Amino acid sequence: MSVLRPMDKLPDLNAATILLVGTEDSLLQKLAESMLQDHCASELRVHLANSLPLPSTVNRPRIDLIVFVINLHSKYSLRNVEECLSHVDSSFFLGKVCFLATGAGQENHCSIHQNTVIKLAHTYRSPLLFCDLEVESFRAIVAQRLVRMLQICAGHVPGISAVNLLSLLRRSDSPPSKEL
Amino acid sequence: MEQPGEKPVAGAEECGEVRGESQAAEESIEDRIRLLLRLRAQTKQQLLEYKSMIDASEEKTPEQIMQEKQIEVKIEDLENEIEDVKSNFEMKTLALNRMRLSAALTKNMEKMGAESSVLTDDMKHILKLQNLIMKSQEESSELEQKLLDVRKKRLQLKQTSRSKLLEIQTEKSKQKKDLDNMENSEVIKTMQKKLQMEIKITTVIQHVFQGLILGSKTNWAEDSALREIVLQLEKDLTTI
Repeated sequence: MSVLRPMDKLPDLNAATILLVGTEDSLLQKLAESMLQDHCASELRVHLANSLPLPSTVNRPRIDLIVFVINLHSKYSLRNVEECLSHVDSSFFLGKVCFLATGAGQENHCSIHQNTVIKLAHTYRSPLLFCDLEVESFRAIVAQRLVRMLQICAGHVPGISAVNLLSLLRRSDSPPSKEL
Repeated sequence: MEQPGEKPVAGAEECGEVRGESQAAEESIEDRIRLLLRLRAQTKQQLLEYKSMIDASEEKTPEQIMQEKQIEVKIEDLENEIEDVKSNFEMKTLALNRMRLSAALTKNMEKMGAESSVLTDDMKHILKLQNLIMKSQEESSELEQKLLDVRKKRLQLKQTSRSKLLEIQTEKSKQKKDLDNMENSEVIKTMQKKLQMEIKITTVIQHVFQGLILGSKTNWAEDSALREIVLQLEKDLTTI
């Protein structure tokens, strides 16, 4: 299967799976470790991937949240993510996809403008998080956030669903690139 | 396309599940009950999500190819719809809770009777305050009405004064126009011409008399009467 669908498998009891997609292995690994250190009542499973489609030979559980990690220092990561987006089913974008942009702190190394990423997130109607994954404290904070989002997307929090969370996270201002 | 690598990382076990046997067994039973309750809530939520997906997929999506702008507009409309539904739901829940509260309160009041003095005091206080609120609202609406009337009168007065000033202005301008007209009218012109003619004639007569007196070679400076006449004849009539 070349397209990821959100609901084609039954969920495992008390388990939530997150898929981190990005080109920089070290950053993904660090983020995964930060997430696993967080104390969470549900069982967390973190999958890392460099690009989609995932190989269909591996038996993997239902993926509850996909995080696309874009490094603002390299245009290759943006292109990679854009290519991967076509392998994700459209029903995933109802709150189960999140974009994470890293490296915004060092302005002189950034080769991608922030507005590009903002526009991308706006086109796909998904939340966008900015974080510097190199710094330990920021990484821990964003890991906590992602764990909470993952719990909601996996259905472990009664009363909130992924779509609900999406409308709560919706930005009220339109992206500035619209004026250009 | 190269084979992408994928590595599952070991998940963290839920903490507090495994306890030593010396610990009271009741604690583990409690934990298990808690776990079961949590799992129950989870499965309920997940079931709800699947049901809603099924309901959503039964709706037919329009197959026509729309332009990107139209799609954006449609998406925003749908998002606004979601927000509307959510806020409606919140308001209904609030109203429902309120009704439940009042129902429980009335039941409580009936049950407790004379013992519930605190509650009755509170209720009476609430009633008093609400009466006060209603009265002050009435007063404020009356005052607003008066204010509105005064403002209307002021506006009327302003309008009448404006119209009066306008009248005055038109009258003045009419007068000025009449004056200008009069100055340009024919009567004045003929009168002015006549005046000029008379002045010329008189000047000529003056010069004739002057010539007479000077030509008679009398010393007019000695005689006071003659001197006066000559000086009078020197007067330039155009400056009068």
